[in-house]
Amino acid sequence: MAFNLTRRKFLQTASLAAATVPLSKVVSASTGVSKSGLDTKGTAGDKTVVGGICEMCFWRCQLVGKVRDGRLMKLEGNPKSIDNGTAICARGNAGVKLLYDVDRLKYPMKNVGERGAPKWKRISWRQALDECGSKLKSTVDQYGAHGICVFPHGASAKYPMHYFERAVGTHNVSEASFFQCRGVRDTAYVATISKAPGEKIDMPNTKVLFFIGDHLGENIHVSHIKQYIQGLQNGAKLIVADPRFSASAAKADIWVQIRPGTDTAYMLAIMNYLVKNNKYDKAFVEDHTDGFEEFAEAIKGWSIEKAAKECDIPAEQIKEVADMLAANAPNVAIHPGRHVSWHGNDFQRQRALACLTGILGAYYVKGGWVPAKGPKVKGISWAKEDHGHEFDLNMDHEEDEKLYPYSPPGTPTDLIRDCAITGKPYPIKSCVVWGQNPMQTIPNQQKMKDMFKAMDFVMCVDVMPTDVTAWADILLPESSYLERYDYIKKGTQWDLSKKHQQYIAARMPLVAPMFERKDQVYICNELAKRMGHADKIPVKTIEEMVDKSLASVNLSIEKLRAEDGIHIQPGKDPYGVPEDFEVLLFNEDLADSGHPGAPTYVPVPRTPNGFARLLYGRAPVHTFNRSQNNVWLNNAMPNNPVWVNEEVAASIGLMDGDTVGFINSDGVKSTTTTTVKVTAGIRKDCVYMYHGYGSANPLMTIGVNAGVDDTSLITQIAVDPESGCHGMRNNFVKLIKNGKVLDIPA
Amino acid sequence: MAFPIAFSKLHMSVTDPSKDISRVYRFLSQCMQYPDAKWMNDDFFNVFYNLLGTLGGVEDGVSIKVEIDNSEDPIEDLQVEYTRLFINGSPHVIAPPYGSVYMDQSLQGAFAGDTLAFYREKGFGMNENADLPDHLIHELEFLSLLAEEKDFAGEEEFLKKLFRPWYAKFHPRVTEGAHHPFYRVVVQLIDFFTKEEDKDGFQPNEA
Repeated sequence: MAFNLTRRKFLQTASLAAATVPLSKVVSASTGVSKSGLDTKGTAGDKTVVGGICEMCFWRCQLVGKVRDGRLMKLEGNPKSIDNGTAICARGNAGVKLLYDVDRLKYPMKNVGERGAPKWKRISWRQALDECGSKLKSTVDQYGAHGICVFPHGASAKYPMHYFERAVGTHNVSEASFFQCRGVRDTAYVATISKAPGEKIDMPNTKVLFFIGDHLGENIHVSHIKQYIQGLQNGAKLIVADPRFSASAAKADIWVQIRPGTDTAYMLAIMNYLVKNNKYDKAFVEDHTDGFEEFAEAIKGWSIEKAAKECDIPAEQIKEVADMLAANAPNVAIHPGRHVSWHGNDFQRQRALACLTGILGAYYVKGGWVPAKGPKVKGISWAKEDHGHEFDLNMDHEEDEKLYPYSPPGTPTDLIRDCAITGKPYPIKSCVVWGQNPMQTIPNQQKMKDMFKAMDFVMCVDVMPTDVTAWADILLPESSYLERYDYIKKGTQWDLSKKHQQYIAARMPLVAPMFERKDQVYICNELAKRMGHADKIPVKTIEEMVDKSLASVNLSIEKLRAEDGIHIQPGKDPYGVPEDFEVLLFNEDLADSGHPGAPTYVPVPRTPNGFARLLYGRAPVHTFNRSQNNVWLNNAMPNNPVWVNEEVAASIGLMDGDTVGFINSDGVKSTTTTTVKVTAGIRKDCVYMYHGYGSANPLMTIGVNAGVDDTSLITQIAVDPESGCHGMRNNFVKLIKNGKVLDIPA
Repeated sequence: MAFPIAFSKLHMSVTDPSKDISRVYRFLSQCMQYPDAKWMNDDFFNVFYNLLGTLGGVEDGVSIKVEIDNSEDPIEDLQVEYTRLFINGSPHVIAPPYGSVYMDQSLQGAFAGDTLAFYREKGFGMNENADLPDHLIHELEFLSLLAEEKDFAGEEEFLKKLFRPWYAKFHPRVTEGAHHPFYRVVVQLIDFFTKEEDKDGFQPNEA
């Protein structure tokens, strides 16, 4: 195509006017550019905007933004912070690139193609909300509130999650942060000490750090890492049980290269040794535990030798660890972990961690598990309503008891998914996905696809076009954490032994949202109006929500801003065991519900011949799959090399840097490839890769096909019997090089 | 919906050339707005086909008309195409219409700041509900305003420093990635009216 005039000739022709006069009749009157005051060069200047709360991960460091002319130039830690201080991690810095990622969702869109193979069309907010509201209402009218399922994640999903649970009345809500991550930790500790543990160990002031699989340094949360490093600097010993020579193992005094899935056996042997040799804290056990005798009886069969064989580690090393813990008790920090949905026997392992802490007397003492005493700020959300349990999938209605008695809040994922696919015991016909990417967080992608295909309606709200958004009928763009108010972060100084202080910081926008992105309160309220719940709306705007919340502690957005984004007040001494604190070494309620009352080891499937167990974990520069499209972070770590033991590699002809794909024991192949990292730092029966790579959605132009998506290979799903949480490390793979499948030698 | 092609004979008339080119820029800017039946109607296409006819681009007009006539919902087709090319497309967004995407590999890069600064130096600013300053639509609007003010030196400087460097990368992406002829032709038109010619180049201050 070429026009047969030159521009110069065209502009010089007398026909120019005749051709152009009609043009003005068909253009809109208004433009985006208009006359304004003259501006001389260099007068815009930079300003520091306070009130940022990071959400590149869930740790939520406090930020300030350097803003020039409405553009965010740089993020820094808020100098007033007594938590992360001026430090932020690589991901925190790269928030700028999320904000301005060209692939980000900009406008509401409607899928005029098929789910999974979308054709997007930009539509107005009114049309988008009308369609979402009418479709969801129609589902409720036809099938009941339980006909809607919700997959939420992150700070922005809390308000809409409460809406669907409380006002609409569906139980069918599943948060990946619980069912595929830390939920089993929390419920196991609640069953033991009546509290979720967080990561509240007093690392700066401990004498021994005990990690089961924790790989701090690769898993980076700034103030947590500060605590960890301070502890090591102060001379704490470090014990790390991990099949892999992780960043933490590299700093360890004792690296326990344990067989995956056997951690509970390991801890039972340690505890049995401590009990039998009177090396436990008798005073603490007497004053603050219950069920010691039943507990001791239940674990008595776990000799060090038996555990050594089961865990494939030296007996002497188990004894050395037990003695080190005993010698330094009670000032020992038994880390509760975070992502702990590993093998489907995880509730028992978490119970073992909580009980080990108990018999060492390591609760509420310097260097032990110590919950800091932070400020109490009232949360504002939808009013709670009782919707009964008739449609609660986690109820055994014949027995009138829960199927998974220690389930985290919400409903175990597979109960929802199976119900949605089969229509039994009732139809689930609409799905709301808010900030979660179930395609890469929930194992068995085919099942996830089947679920979406079974829906009458799917809506997604997100900042990025993650894999799941390709399955939406309506896709709504949310403002990011740098563009909205919402989360109120509170806590204490990071080192508990220092001057006791508390802080309160509310997330405030560092820049205005671009395009037509909206916050969660706006979107959710507009849905509520269309679904007949206008009278139940608790706040009109997100600012009102934050202000009402802050008012409970005599603060406001205005006051916080005047205090540079962070309010600091005197704190309280967190040390000292509360009188009523009790550790249930043997939990009778658990036993009554048919589960072991004392921590119990449940063996996991052994690695089949020719395969290696697939392990995965966090990368220091990525947060799951959420940051895979970030240009800076992708540049720092563009793919996820698979760790292969050097002897294994030599025997099957693999070299460092080779390109490989995967096939799992169910015959599922990876759709992408990655490179090989040959190392002595991993057991022969395992391979390892970082999670959060290999997006299948081409809309993620940076993250698509970069590395391998480990979730795509997780097809064997273990479900923890007490909690209903998933176990995802019982999957086995072979490597494929140049089209040839390589057997892993035993 | 069918749009008649009416390449009517143009009447000779004498007007202010700066106004003429200003109208061209504004029209091109309109062409790059999100398709909507409110403005993308028979009148619009008649004017569009006329302009193409004047430039000897009858075949281009025909190709667009055929595509439109053969569609059950030509506006929705164009909306899907616009979304895919310029907003969030599958397999990926083809050509985001923002300068800094090509110059800084990011939205709102330094290039966007430079663009806004140029607007301000010339006494213009962005309206509240406007898109980013380096959006193709706004750059064409700005060129239109400069032409209207007869600031030919400013127009030339803007084209050279802040428009052509990224447009030269944007244009082929659309040409290669477009499924609908409308946008292939529009970006060709914009290219035609904004590029410098090798010799006897466009000299707006002498026009």
